[in-house]
Amino acid sequence: MKTIVSLLILAGLLLMTEATVCGQDAAGDVTVPKDVGAVLNKFCTECHGEQTREGEVRFDALASIEKTARVELMGKAQEQITFGSMPPKEANQPSAEQRQLVIDWLASELRKNNAPTLEDKLRLPSYGNRVDHAKLFSGEVKAKPFTPARRWLVSPQIFTERVFDVLKLDERERAGKRPAGMYGVTNPFTLPERSGVRDYDLTAVDGGHFLVMQTNASWIADRIIATIRIKLGEPVEKVLENRADRWYPLRGSMGGKAGEKSWAFDAFEVLMQKTSPPTEDELSAAIQLQFANALQRPANETELRSYLGLMRAVIEVGGNTEGLRKMLVAVLLESEFVYRLEFGAGEPDDFGRRRLSPREASYAIAYALGDKGPDATLVKSAEEGRLHSKDDYEREVKRLLADMTSFKGPVDPAYRNEHNDAYISTPHPKLVRFFREFFGYPLSLRVFKDIERSDGLYRVPDRGTNGTPGYLNVEADRVVARIVEADRDVFVSLLTTDQFFVYHNLDNEKGEKLIEGWRKVYETLKDTNWKADPEQVAKDHAALLQQYVAPGAMKGKGRGVHETDLSRIMTLFEATFGRGGRPFTTVPWAHGNRFWHSPFYNLPRTPREGEYDRDAAFDYHPVQPFAVPHRKGILTHPAWLIAHSQNSATDPIRRGKWIREKLLAGSVPDVPITVDAQIPEHADKTLRERLAAATSKQECWKCHQHMNPLGLAFEMYDDFGRYRTAESLEHPDNVLTKAKVKYGADTYKTAPLISTGRLDGTGDTTLDGDVTDALDMIDRLAKSDRVRQSIIRHAFRFFLGRNELLSDSQALIDADRAYLSSGGSFQAVVVSLLSSESMMYRK
Amino acid sequence: MLTRRALLQATAATSSGLMFAPWLQTVLGAPTTGSAPRRLIFVHKGNGLFPQVMVPPSLDNADKEKEQRKQAFSVDLQQHELPEWMSPVAEHKSQMTILQGLSGKMCTTGHHTWQSSLGVYKANEALTSIKWATVDFEFARMFPSPLEHIELACFPSDGGNARGNINGIEKGFSARGPQQPNYAFGSPKIALQELFKSVSSNQSDRVQYELERRVLEFTAGSQTGLAAQVSGSERAKVANYAESIDAIRARNKKLEEMSDVIRRNLPQLDAKYLTDDLSTTDRQWGHTEILLATLISGMTNVVTFTVDELGTHYTGLKGIENERVNLHDVGHGKGFGSLNADDIRRTVRTQHMALINKIITRLKEVPEADGNMFDNTMLFYFPDNGETHHSTGIEWPFVVFSGRNAKLDIAGRYIRLPYYGEEGHKTLGNWYTTLLNAYGNPIEHYGELDVALEKMKRNQKGPIKQFM
Repeated sequence: MKTIVSLLILAGLLLMTEATVCGQDAAGDVTVPKDVGAVLNKFCTECHGEQTREGEVRFDALASIEKTARVELMGKAQEQITFGSMPPKEANQPSAEQRQLVIDWLASELRKNNAPTLEDKLRLPSYGNRVDHAKLFSGEVKAKPFTPARRWLVSPQIFTERVFDVLKLDERERAGKRPAGMYGVTNPFTLPERSGVRDYDLTAVDGGHFLVMQTNASWIADRIIATIRIKLGEPVEKVLENRADRWYPLRGSMGGKAGEKSWAFDAFEVLMQKTSPPTEDELSAAIQLQFANALQRPANETELRSYLGLMRAVIEVGGNTEGLRKMLVAVLLESEFVYRLEFGAGEPDDFGRRRLSPREASYAIAYALGDKGPDATLVKSAEEGRLHSKDDYEREVKRLLADMTSFKGPVDPAYRNEHNDAYISTPHPKLVRFFREFFGYPLSLRVFKDIERSDGLYRVPDRGTNGTPGYLNVEADRVVARIVEADRDVFVSLLTTDQFFVYHNLDNEKGEKLIEGWRKVYETLKDTNWKADPEQVAKDHAALLQQYVAPGAMKGKGRGVHETDLSRIMTLFEATFGRGGRPFTTVPWAHGNRFWHSPFYNLPRTPREGEYDRDAAFDYHPVQPFAVPHRKGILTHPAWLIAHSQNSATDPIRRGKWIREKLLAGSVPDVPITVDAQIPEHADKTLRERLAAATSKQECWKCHQHMNPLGLAFEMYDDFGRYRTAESLEHPDNVLTKAKVKYGADTYKTAPLISTGRLDGTGDTTLDGDVTDALDMIDRLAKSDRVRQSIIRHAFRFFLGRNELLSDSQALIDADRAYLSSGGSFQAVVVSLLSSESMMYRK
Repeated sequence: MLTRRALLQATAATSSGLMFAPWLQTVLGAPTTGSAPRRLIFVHKGNGLFPQVMVPPSLDNADKEKEQRKQAFSVDLQQHELPEWMSPVAEHKSQMTILQGLSGKMCTTGHHTWQSSLGVYKANEALTSIKWATVDFEFARMFPSPLEHIELACFPSDGGNARGNINGIEKGFSARGPQQPNYAFGSPKIALQELFKSVSSNQSDRVQYELERRVLEFTAGSQTGLAAQVSGSERAKVANYAESIDAIRARNKKLEEMSDVIRRNLPQLDAKYLTDDLSTTDRQWGHTEILLATLISGMTNVVTFTVDELGTHYTGLKGIENERVNLHDVGHGKGFGSLNADDIRRTVRTQHMALINKIITRLKEVPEADGNMFDNTMLFYFPDNGETHHSTGIEWPFVVFSGRNAKLDIAGRYIRLPYYGEEGHKTLGNWYTTLLNAYGNPIEHYGELDVALEKMKRNQKGPIKQFM
């Protein structure tokens, strides 16, 4: 009966075919065309009609809904109908044509109201997985691929390099300036903090960026002018009054500290040296130099005329130097300085697409693989018209990937100050950066941890240090870098490797030699009288100690707190070699030794003086990586587990969501704003039980079924990433013993740990199903085609700066084939993506 | 005049490309709050503020015992003497609150705390540690003004926040948003130059102002022209930029239109306040004049003033005028000249109170609506790092001055809240939430939570209801 009523109402509405039905909001007129109304009537209003109003949604009286709410409803409807979640599976389904009819109508209504359409939303990172996975890899899509013509905001790293370009820094100076940046330059571009691809082409520069750019531009212009003044003979102290900011570029050209350079600011210097107004040629030369330095292209006629006007006007009021300064600033304030321009300046094809011009292509390729503009070979190829075809792209990308030196550097320069940069440097940091963002383990820095809960071991990021998560991130970077460098079975290895780096602060050869030397000392001296008369033993074996322990620095009585003496070193050796282990290559009393985090890998604590017998013997592996028990790949790395945890508990929801979205190409909607997402407290229940209590209601489970069963398998690791077999019920009522030392952990009652879970969504019946724990799940994930393809989809987003569309199908299929046929080479994936039509064409 | 980074470091949030910073919205004509503006002044000091020096000496024995046991209680300040160092502000006792018992363990504590005390999170030198806008910026956005917010600082010359020029414009102790430090004026001279450039009588300043105006005009023209050539979503990528430059020009124009009132309130500073080697106390007095001028002229409604930091080397302190006092050493008990460490701490605090007295007295002299400017003002004096030199954040004392129209019901009281971990204990986050809620920001909780309190299962979210 209800249906009949709503049908009647809808029928009445439809009788006013093509007529405008005015609701309460006159500005929000809505027209329901006859054919659309018929589809709505047939498939929607039974549940969303006047009487039923399922989910408080009605489609029978759209015109009576207030405009904002109606537009919002239409947006949601477009999404749900497009993705097939409406009508529900059990209901009658419209044909593809009927579905499309409604979708198109909704899109036109949304456009009419200036509301974001699904097309807009599909460009957002959170909608990346909405494109049908099966269809994408089916091979049936024949649409011609293209990337929309675009301005792509530079990444923070590219911005930094562009500033270096303007200041004409050489590679040595760049390397020195990268970790901390320039004194007077604030990077206005930050990437969102999330796991997954972060650098999309969607961001528009805004007022905030402009303000920051304004101060940056002033500083940069001042610096260039200061450099010229110093060259012209003024004392540095006078030119650069701020003692903390006395650096200037091109010192190498003036006998300063930086490397040999030739003077590069001639055209600017001419203006400053002149007392009379400069000629047009002189002004033009200066403008062209700044255009070349900042925008990497010459100014065109119109631009030149306009800048000449500005300079002349300023010079008239403020003199030559001010004229120069303001021109330098104005060029830096061009929005082009902060965008990558990819419009497709090449010839158009029959499908309305335009190829990137060779010059555009040279930048697109260079920025895909690094942060600097094109190298000399790319520039030459572009100039000679050899950057046009797929083969050209392939040739250049392969050449750059084979180049082991040009891009070489730390994965994250910001870590360089605290960690020795040599050991995290890699030939292609950008490739490692993809996996780093994809896995999202650097977010471990953002999860605050209570030191006491870690038994005093966890160091929270603080002044000048990234603390424990900083060390763990570096160690995760190394695992990734090693696998990326080997370039065989990359995805599977990342997911399943048991080879980890822990504390590896000396290279394998040096570390092994050191430890073997120490062993020799221990074996030689262990049966001597070193405990009772260490000084005599030290004297008797001075040469041995000199060679292997502390050349020239072995101290007797009166040692300093960080100095090594025989008794101290032999006590350490006895506690390690003597118990079948090996000491760490840095002694516990060394100044600044902060390697304390081994227990997060379930390895014994770093031996600490006075506490040598507290744990099992420490057994340091000087040759790394090495196999760490109970671990399998990055998802079991403490950095990833911490990044995907709460402050004081694990986070099965976040861990599950990550797997669903990143590995299974699935989607989980955001938490509805009406939901107060809290896991209830209960002294006697495990997190698994409390989570079940909070999410088992049907409306919750609708989404949580896609996350909880995946994430709960990871309950075998706690929120510090420690493998565990029992869950500590951390509630004040359950304290068994209070900590006896400062920062020590209380002990709590425990409950047996359940680490089972369930995998679904691989599309492979041999893999989907119940799993015993995370390791079982990881093994299955590693075998899944869908997981491999999901990673490739994310790589596409990283290298192309946007979500894939159905029309990108061929690029993804080719990249997938390239991976398989190359034995799991990620470089093959990169070559394939960067030489795809999706990369080459704009529209 | 608004071309320096101190004024213009605005939101650079990559996710909200279409949003303007609030002051840009103001310039573009978005509605602002009606009636008389609300003003907030945040004055913070380094080296900790001992809870024991905050206590009125005239407490009766029962209250003294409660104080010693750190049990919650409150007394009417009118019935009590103020600690001697607060004598410069005695005249404002009825508008004053001494607030004890807040904690701030979710902040970076110890020597230096960067944006922690205003942002309620662990901040350090790394920009990435700045999680969100500090509370003073939250207020600046609630009560918009042409300049939005001004920060003045007596920068440390070693350690601490700034590693740059103590007379320059350097990263300050406030934050405009995630990963966006604010920039503060280090000396009265640079503040005067930059803030009052549009009304400067100095010829070369006038020329600079004019040239900067021309560059803005030029850039606005070129970007607007570019925007006109593109369409669709690509258009926003240029149009936003062009429009924001126009907005800045409009703001400058607005300040130019205010030039009479700005000129009337120009800080009157003798030459000694405008040198680069002025004493710390003169620097503070000079900054105070700048602070008053910007508030009274209506250029801003929110000012944050770092009166000192742990690395500030004090000169000009009463009684030891010629000593260069290293506050860090004072923190470790070292005396200078004829004064021991406690004397120096007291002298420093007394100096701060004298500065605050000047601010309040002057604001009370300026008529506004049916009263004076102070009626619509709140001033907060507090340590940047908590209770002592090597602080842990277990206590975070405040002295608050509230004008007649302030939204909190706490004036004229000494208040000790329940101690850390006790039932009803409140944190810095609760305190700022209270203020934000009272002034119309309904935020559920401002600031990071304290994981140790979380472990104790203490409810630590929301405002301090009894203050509202």
